Order: sequence, then C-alpha cells, then structure tokens
Amino acid sequence: MNKNYLFLAILMILLAAGLLLVPERQNYQQIKPEKLMWDITQTSRFVTVDQVAQMIIEGDPTLELIDIRPAKDFEAFSLTNAINIPLDSLMKPDYQDYFGIEDMNVVFYGNSDIKADQAWVISKRMGYNSIYVMQGGLNCWIRKIIQPVEPEESASQEEFDLYQFRKGACAFFTGTKVEAPDAGKTGIKVVKRKKGTAVAGGC
Amino acid sequence: MHVHELNPKKTVITMVIFVVVIIAGLLTLTNPRLKYALTPEQTVLLTVSDDGGITPEKLELMLTGSTEKVEIIDIRNHYEFARGHIPGARNISAVELLEKDNIEWLKDLQEKGFTVVIYGKNQMQANGPWMVFRQIGFSNVHVLLGGYQYYLAYKNHETQNYSPCKADFNYAEVAKVSVTSGEDNNQPAKKTTIVRRKKKGGAVAGGC
Repeated sequence: MNKNYLFLAILMILLAAGLLLVPERQNYQQIKPEKLMWDITQTSRFVTVDQVAQMIIEGDPTLELIDIRPAKDFEAFSLTNAINIPLDSLMKPDYQDYFGIEDMNVVFYGNSDIKADQAWVISKRMGYNSIYVMQGGLNCWIRKIIQPVEPEESASQEEFDLYQFRKGACAFFTGTKVEAPDAGKTGIKVVKRKKGTAVAGGC
Repeated sequence: MHVHELNPKKTVITMVIFVVVIIAGLLTLTNPRLKYALTPEQTVLLTVSDDGGITPEKLELMLTGSTEKVEIIDIRNHYEFARGHIPGARNISAVELLEKDNIEWLKDLQEKGFTVVIYGKNQMQANGPWMVFRQIGFSNVHVLLGGYQYYLAYKNHETQNYSPCKADFNYAEVAKVSVTSGEDNNQPAKKTTIVRRKKKGGAVAGGC
C-alpha cells in the first residue's frame, strides 16, 4: 500500500480521536453571559399594558401572552387568550413548543413584572428571540386599563388621547358602558394617586 | 494510474491545508471566559426561591455590624449616582461588571466571603443582572429589595411593605366582565377553550 495513504489514514484517525475529546455541546443554543447581560440592559424588551391592550383589541394573531403565575391564580383571572406556564415549570419539555414559533411575539406577564422578567432572562439565555415582558404586570393592567385616571386639565393632548383609549379598552374588556367624551364639563376631577404606589414597579 | 499518483505534490498540498485547517480549528476552540455554573433548570429553581433580596433594614444592620463583609454596587448611570446613592456604594454598570478585571475582583470577594449587594433605581433594574451573576456562579450576589427608590423611602421613614410579586388587586373582582341585564348573573363566564397552535415537534414535521 502506498505509504502516503497509510500516513493519511492514521492522521485522520488521530484527528477523529481528537474531536472526541472536544467538550460536548449542549442541545440548545445558549447565548453567552456577556450577550445576555447586554440584552437585559435593552429596554426594548418591555411592552406597555397599552400596547398589549391594543394587540388584544385588534386581534393581533402574533400575540402570545404567557402567564407565569401559579395555575390557581391563572384560573381566577387571566388576560384574553393567555397561556399558563407557571414559572417553576418553565423548562418542562412540554412547554418548550410554545417558544420559538415563527412570527409569534411572546409576552410574559405576572402580578408584577419581576417574575415575568426572570422568565424572560431564562428564555433569552436559551436563545429565544421575540420575547417581551409586560411592564408592570397585571397590577399595572388594572391601574391603567381597568381603572384609568382622568388627566388633569393642564395635561397634554396626548395624555387625553391615551385616557380615551384606555376608557375604550376598559369597556372592551369589562363590558362597561363608555361615557361620551365630555365636551362642556366644567368640573375638574383631580384624582391624586396614593403615595403607596411609589414602588409600583414601573407602571 | 490514480490521480493522486499522477499529481503527488497537489495531493500533499491539499492534505496539508486540510490538516492545518482542522488543527487550527481545534486550537482556536478556546474556553469561554464566562461560563454558566447553573443549568436553566437550576436557574428556574433559583427564581422560585427568590424573595426579592435584602431589605434596606437588613442592609443597614449588615453595614453597622463590624463582622459583616459587604460590598455595595450601584448599577445605575453616573449621573443618577452623582445625584444620590447609598453611602459606600461603588458605581459600576451591569455590563461593565462582566469585564475581566471586575470579574477577577468579584471572584476575589467571593473567596474572601463577602456579600455583594447590587441595586438599581428599582427592583427591576437589578433583577436581570442579579440573575446573570447567579448563573455564572456568584452565589454571594444579592439584590437590594426595591432598589434605590425603596431605600430612599425607608430612609425617609415611609415604611412600605414591598413585595416583588404581590397582587395589588383581586383581579377577578376588579376586572370582572359586567353582564347586561336579563342574563343570569350567577352563570360563570363561559371559558372558551382556545386551541393554541404548538410547534410541531420531532424530526418529521410534515406539511402542517
């Protein structure tokens, strides 16, 4: 046999053996800690309750709401079409199919946004994109969408428009009647937010 | 005659290039500087047991105690830090903390038994960074509950009971759908089962 071929064959076998010694790669494509930290500092991962309300009202088919609270909290109340994946079950193989679906935007939410954010961090590490956190969680949903506060008279037009949107959204979600926009109402109702909401968590 | 025997030089050159490429690939397979010490499943367990971190009261106790070794890190930007921060805190952003020198410093602190408390302007800002530090093996890093704004409230004696996942409302009560008159109010709202389209798993996906 040609000596070159023998040499070549031995070399190939040695290299193959070398490849076996290479550390095993994990199944999922994890992102590096540096990249994860960078992504965490990007505020674009937050969506507001107004944006979520809009998507639900418009019937946006790409919206995938994931409720990370325990099942009994989910049963008591949840947002329209939300899926329940309790945080402690986030890595269960059954639930992995809910992530990474093309064109779907996953939005995590909880009572507040801290646990939802933790679910986001773990999902981000796993390499999933198109994942978001609903800022303020359900606490903020109630404060803004279900119990919107009328802006003071000195407020900007945008704030009034936003308030009208929220009143409409509230009607959509709870079925309460929408009041006609007050054209000549003279009384100014100033509702001061309770001080206790200082740490309301970015609502 | 075999082609390799016709052009032995060409064969050798191709072979050498091929081997060099493989060896270069193996050599450049460097060990990443930062590696995960916790699996995703372990990280889930961490979040389940997380109670939000160290309260301002506890931090004060730790700082005044002579035996506690505490290092406080403010991860907000320099402007916010200059406007007001916890006395003794260092100002290093979360991304900067992952740089080589800072990681060496954190490892050193961990070996010496220090507790590292990180805080941002609120609970949320330090939440994610804390998770990253825990995942890369710094089990001595904790979050200051509620961040700087809660700390200020505490210092101003505005005691509040902040909990990062508390429900502030009885959602079902507050957001209940009001049925129009004429219907039976006792009938629970029919929960329509929405069929969620899951990704087709497995190798053979078919033409779904």
